Amino acid sequence: MKKLDPVSLEIQWKRLVSMVDEASAAFVRTSFSVLVREANDFAVVLTDAQGRSIAQSVLSIPSFIGTLPATVKHFLARFPPHTLKPGDVMITNDPWMGTGHIHDVNIAMPIFHKGRIVAFAAVVSHMPDIGGRIRNAGIRDIYEEGLQIPRLKLLNAGKPDQNLLDMIGRNVRVPEQTLGDIWAQIAACKMLDERLQPLLRDTDLAALGGEIRARSEAAMRKAIRAVPAGTYHAQTQHDGFEEPILINCTVQVKGDRLAIDYTGSSPQVPRAVNVVPIYTFAYSAFAVKALLCPDVPNNEGSFMPISTSAPLGSIFNPRYPAASGGRGMIGHMMVPAIMMALADVVRERAIAEGSSNSSITVTGEHQGRPYAAVNFMNAGQGATGHRDGYTMLSFPSNLSNTPIEIFEQMAPVRVIERSIRRGSGGAGRHRGGDGLHFEIEVVADTPMMASMIMTRFRTAPQGIFGGAPGKVGGLLLNGKSIDPADHWVLKKGDRVVMETAGGGGCGAA
Amino acid sequence: MTAGKTKVNRIRIAVDIGGTFTDGLAVIAPGGRIWVSKTLTTPHDPGEAVTSVIADLLKQITAARRAAKPHVTEVVHGTTLVTNTLVERKGARTGLIVTKGTRDVLTIAREIRYDLYDLNLEIPQPLVAEDKRLEVDERLDAQGNVVTPLAAAELDRLLDSLAGLDVAAVAVCLLHAYVSDVHEKQIEAAVRKRFPRLAVAVSSGIAREIREYERMSTTVCNAYVQPLVAEYLNRLDARVHDLAPGAPLRIMVSSGGFTSGKAAAETPILLLESGPAGGVLSALNTARNNGIAEILAFDMGGTTAKACVAVGAQPLIAHSFECARVSRFKRGSGLPILMPSIDLIEIGAGGGSIAHVNNLGLLNVGPASSGAVPGPACYGLGGTAATVTDADLMLGYLNPDNFLGGEMKLRTDLARTALAGLAAELKLTPTAVAWGICNIVNENMAAAARIHIAEKGHDPREFAMVATGGAGPVHAVEVARKLRIPRVLATIAAGAGSCLGLLAAPARVDRSWSNPTLVAEIDWGKVAQVYGELRADAEDELKSAGARDVTLKWRIGAEMRYAGQGHNVSVTLPWRNVTSALAPALIREFERCYRRFYGHLVPNATPQVITWRLTGCSVVKRHKFAWGDARVSAQAIMRGKREIYLPLKQKFGAVTVYDRYSLKPGSRVAGPVILEERESTLVVPVAADVKILPDYTVAVTIREFE
Repeated sequence: MKKLDPVSLEIQWKRLVSMVDEASAAFVRTSFSVLVREANDFAVVLTDAQGRSIAQSVLSIPSFIGTLPATVKHFLARFPPHTLKPGDVMITNDPWMGTGHIHDVNIAMPIFHKGRIVAFAAVVSHMPDIGGRIRNAGIRDIYEEGLQIPRLKLLNAGKPDQNLLDMIGRNVRVPEQTLGDIWAQIAACKMLDERLQPLLRDTDLAALGGEIRARSEAAMRKAIRAVPAGTYHAQTQHDGFEEPILINCTVQVKGDRLAIDYTGSSPQVPRAVNVVPIYTFAYSAFAVKALLCPDVPNNEGSFMPISTSAPLGSIFNPRYPAASGGRGMIGHMMVPAIMMALADVVRERAIAEGSSNSSITVTGEHQGRPYAAVNFMNAGQGATGHRDGYTMLSFPSNLSNTPIEIFEQMAPVRVIERSIRRGSGGAGRHRGGDGLHFEIEVVADTPMMASMIMTRFRTAPQGIFGGAPGKVGGLLLNGKSIDPADHWVLKKGDRVVMETAGGGGCGAA
Repeated sequence: MTAGKTKVNRIRIAVDIGGTFTDGLAVIAPGGRIWVSKTLTTPHDPGEAVTSVIADLLKQITAARRAAKPHVTEVVHGTTLVTNTLVERKGARTGLIVTKGTRDVLTIAREIRYDLYDLNLEIPQPLVAEDKRLEVDERLDAQGNVVTPLAAAELDRLLDSLAGLDVAAVAVCLLHAYVSDVHEKQIEAAVRKRFPRLAVAVSSGIAREIREYERMSTTVCNAYVQPLVAEYLNRLDARVHDLAPGAPLRIMVSSGGFTSGKAAAETPILLLESGPAGGVLSALNTARNNGIAEILAFDMGGTTAKACVAVGAQPLIAHSFECARVSRFKRGSGLPILMPSIDLIEIGAGGGSIAHVNNLGLLNVGPASSGAVPGPACYGLGGTAATVTDADLMLGYLNPDNFLGGEMKLRTDLARTALAGLAAELKLTPTAVAWGICNIVNENMAAAARIHIAEKGHDPREFAMVATGGAGPVHAVEVARKLRIPRVLATIAAGAGSCLGLLAAPARVDRSWSNPTLVAEIDWGKVAQVYGELRADAEDELKSAGARDVTLKWRIGAEMRYAGQGHNVSVTLPWRNVTSALAPALIREFERCYRRFYGHLVPNATPQVITWRLTGCSVVKRHKFAWGDARVSAQAIMRGKREIYLPLKQKFGAVTVYDRYSLKPGSRVAGPVILEERESTLVVPVAADVKILPDYTVAVTIREFE
């Protein structure tokens, strides 16, 4: 193969990314999962023969940074290369080897060229259902969460393992949809294989992957080198359940390496909010990428200079059988924590704290028919030295609100007001973004079950450089404060007000 | 000369205002001969360029056909005026009337980020300031029942507040107005009565679809451009009347049809994508004339490149899109518009895309563009950055003396200087950089098209590519090779492609009505009544656009899903009486479409209709066009040989250059070859069979892939 010049490399690379994106577009189109279609809760990755990533689908959310290549390596440890045959497809949803909760199913398939494995196609996707209890923060251990699939071969030389398929089908609520999505994942892997074959004729994928990783790694190292060396610290907390959950983060910048340690954070909890190391890494790496080098591509090279650690048994490194279905509730808070830790040294890019999304889910029966509807709501985000914080923007996940008209079509509620909670953002030279004021009236003819997920209910998002904190969120039933951790039964005429927190300000006002 | 010998030529004229040029095209019947005209767009008064183009066309025709008396039967118009007004935020001061409790909906929008990694996103600002939004105490429920009536005193209070707003236009968008327009109608009537000069747009009249933010955004955009567009169309009508008395003015709309000037003035948001829609229709007309039904329309100009998939000779239609994006290539960064539109995607910034070295040390092209001014370095208008056009010139694909038929001389020296800078930075030869730019931009466009095609559930290899736009035929063969599309067609008059499309367009109207209901529970009497109203209204509009009853085709559409799902599947049926007998046909068609998209059905799920649609269209005819001026000659003219870069040989080689229109239908030449015409150049840099079809379309069958 001829040496890769800056033009050929760009072309080959672009083509690989476009193949991955083509497979991902085909996958999204055929997926049953609303989270896949509305929130891009999936990823498609092409790795080399050792499971090192070369290209990842562009649309995927940050949860999947670095996870799939690690999963492929776990597959390889269980099924060494010499045991793999063309047409083999492997599957697992082990949170520690996958993406941090069992709702994501990982699929990987070896790609052969001239009888040798040259690559892996891998797809991870949030399933429409995985059995167990409906995802909820109150779940105590992984057994309650649903079906666990260890590393197994789903297809053996192209032949499906019908026992395994039957087993999965019997354990989920919507077997056609869950199995349908798994088949769509396999189809995406096959499409990637087919698209890659012509390229393999005259391209050394290992060399190409090596060059891509090297360039990406160099860009990230360069970005880290621009940060003054030192050890930086930040602490924040989640409202928690019986008591708050502490997030303690220490960022060490040493030359062109950046290490994040979570020692001092709370121990793991018997709730579904534990964050396994692979997810701890994914969201930490997202924070570093967004803060220091947003243009760096999503591949293993970019994240080589970054490492994360947390003591075993802590909230960021829990022991089996910890539950982790709602890992994002705590995991999302790593992002502002890292940004706060680095605020003083990257002042130009520093952002005050904001908060992640809240939601209300209502279920019941109205006029003889069951209903279930969820409305996500977002909060104010933190200010920077250049601008005010965003009013109600989803961060760091990316979930849109439910239109009032859709919410009222789906459930017997009337939205009285959806407005900006003016003045809730922290004061400062630049103000924190405002949160939401959302008020509904129940119009159901029988009792309505309501479950609210609220965050930043007790702990306000902090400002930076002298900016004031934002206001905490609030939850009122008929004018009285109520606890979001409880389940509530609402009756006709009840009014619920949900207020999300404002973001922190930047600079003294 | 006796009266009997005077031949009356019926002439139809199309004028398309683009970012840089205003193109005009006249076709004469019988015979389908065409003339083209081109002039610089006149942004201070866009109608000026329209006038000069029409005048020039009439002059050309009169000169060519002395004996005949030109009679203009219609003028079809496409314009970027609406798009530009929204992008530049130059519309009217606009007010907004909403249901109590929803004043902030326009600001809150959907709360999602269009780029996950950009911490400093620019959020598109609403077109109506917060202090120009009025809440009114009224309420409907999701079934359209009145929960809080609109009291007379409340309406008076609203009108008084409106009087104090100092606005030239007002949008009205109330909750659940997609299912019942009762309160919106009351407000509209009261506003029109008290403020007869105010432009009014009501959501139930503009986009009767569920989702309040998107409907509000659409209604606001419409109100915002209404005064300006109404004035523009009025003046244009007068201008056309002066040049061609009695010729009605038809306006091209985004969905790929035309409507009357009156309808366009009332719902100007329909015009958003009118020019690009014309390009697609032109490609489709060419494909139809040659018996091809599955195409990828590829249009590349100086500032934009677009692609569109057409299946069964029909372009795909999207029912929502975005305008005025703050980040050009990022989905979600614009203002949502709920309007049927030909499903075009922007796949690049065209010939003006600028090349640079990125932070990984690699050559990149775009998304930054030199625009029309200063343009590529070789234009000699002050641009210094190397662009795709500069690379095309260096590679021999463009003839410096034949740009716009030689009117604009391209400066090879300036292109070389611009490329030399990059070459030094990358330690490559200028030729390697030039080919790199060309190859990368082709790869980028192919990648964007590939993903778009996959989203629509197709395989690129099923399609033929039809190239339009000035730069389309220059890049088409290479982009097709990357997509493994075996066949490329180059239409005639590629440079004025949108205009040919405007003349091939049918009259078309679209109406919609959201009323989410399980199919089993549909109140067919009510649906029939609404369809009756929609159709009567649509017929009026089509008649005012000059369509006749006998030639109209009506289609019933429904956006359907299984209850509880988040995405719709579009179902379309030919018109039939709306009764409960429609239900089984609707479900059958839904299941057929669902199976095609998702592979299989969802057992035990309940189908639901979210939005009803009605489309009326005059029958699409095949239009045969042929040059009216003296381009076509009796024998093939070889303009000699030119050194061009041959990508598979990775070196320059001499290829034959033909004057495109000197090649008669039926002739065949072999690639590599170049076919030049006044407005464009067809570059075939690899082995291929090149054939001239009966309508002078060039068909390239590619023989070499990678």
